Amino acid sequence: MDESELISRVRAGEPAAERTLYDAHVDRVYRLAFRLAGDDELARDFTQETFIRAFERIGTFRGESRLSTWLHAIATTVSLNGLRKVKRFRTRETALEAADGVAGGVRSAEPDLKTRLRDAIDALPDKYRTVVVMHDMEGYTHEEIAAALDMEVGTSKAQLSRARAKLRESLADFAGEWVS
Amino acid sequence: MNDDRFEQQINEAVRDYHRPPETPRDEMWAAIEAERRRRRTAPRIVVLRPVWRWGIGMAAVLVLGIAIGRQLQSGTGGTPASTAAASSRPGDGLAYQLAAAQVLTRAEIVLTSFRADARAGGRTDSQFLDQARDLLGSTRLLLDSPAGQDPRLKPLLEDLEVILAQIAVLSASRDTADVELINQGIDQRSVLTRLQTAFPAGSAPARAQGAI
Repeated sequence: MDESELISRVRAGEPAAERTLYDAHVDRVYRLAFRLAGDDELARDFTQETFIRAFERIGTFRGESRLSTWLHAIATTVSLNGLRKVKRFRTRETALEAADGVAGGVRSAEPDLKTRLRDAIDALPDKYRTVVVMHDMEGYTHEEIAAALDMEVGTSKAQLSRARAKLRESLADFAGEWVS
Repeated sequence: MNDDRFEQQINEAVRDYHRPPETPRDEMWAAIEAERRRRRTAPRIVVLRPVWRWGIGMAAVLVLGIAIGRQLQSGTGGTPASTAAASSRPGDGLAYQLAAAQVLTRAEIVLTSFRADARAGGRTDSQFLDQARDLLGSTRLLLDSPAGQDPRLKPLLEDLEVILAQIAVLSASRDTADVELINQGIDQRSVLTRLQTAFPAGSAPARAQGAI
């Protein structure tokens, strides 16, 4: 079954076609959601919401792009909006804990590169982090990223370059360890 | 410094960032189906986007402010000529009646949704409770404005204030008995009927509201 036929059958409300569409794309959507969220529960929520919205709005899909591009655009929107809400909630929680004197533990020993890198990626602005995740971790092309995030291909490349520069800057002190 | 090696180490570490486990396909599919079924059968609650909520709130406050200002001016500070001119302007009474009409229309939507939600045995949406709190504030503003002196509106606004205050303090995991009491209050005071007939279609505030 080709993509246009599958879409027609999903639009007609065929449950088997919906499941076929889901099976064809769920891995990549879930992986992207997990990479962005870093949490299984959130990744599941974002993936589920992505497919629910896709099935609700399949009538508006004009076929100008590939279905996967359209789906990943929904997935990134759902994930980034969801993460913003979670971040606001966690910021409030952290502020409350700090005010209660509960939080703030002992700083751990000097973290290794992976830990430092994870923190550095977490600290990137959302737009940079999303491009790093999509390109460097999940292998999306700049064309796919640009379509999903509704930006120019050049912007995607520029953001990836700036993101890498920021990461190198954050980890500059580690570079000295490889001096031979 | 060996830049290439550093880059290589970074690239390897990047691949480990939030490394996803195996996709829980069937579990997520079951959850998607359940959620879609729930959404198909759930009553539709009108949730205003924040920008609209703020817009309507600000417009209502502006209209109320103008109305209160005009009322105070005509009551105390104005010259006899301006007072006479102001009192003869038909828009004065209309201004706060329009604000009241907007609040009462929103209240009707919220209370209708609340009853439908209660009948369906659903949990109270937090945004729904937020709407009740917003409306409670607007209702109190109206009660303190000239609209609160209107003998026809005042009892309705007072009853509405009580009902909204009860809904606003309801927790998300609401108690069935509390919900039942609120619904009894709505019925006994015929709040919904009075809300529907407060500004009949064709009245000046209803027409003005439609124009907005």
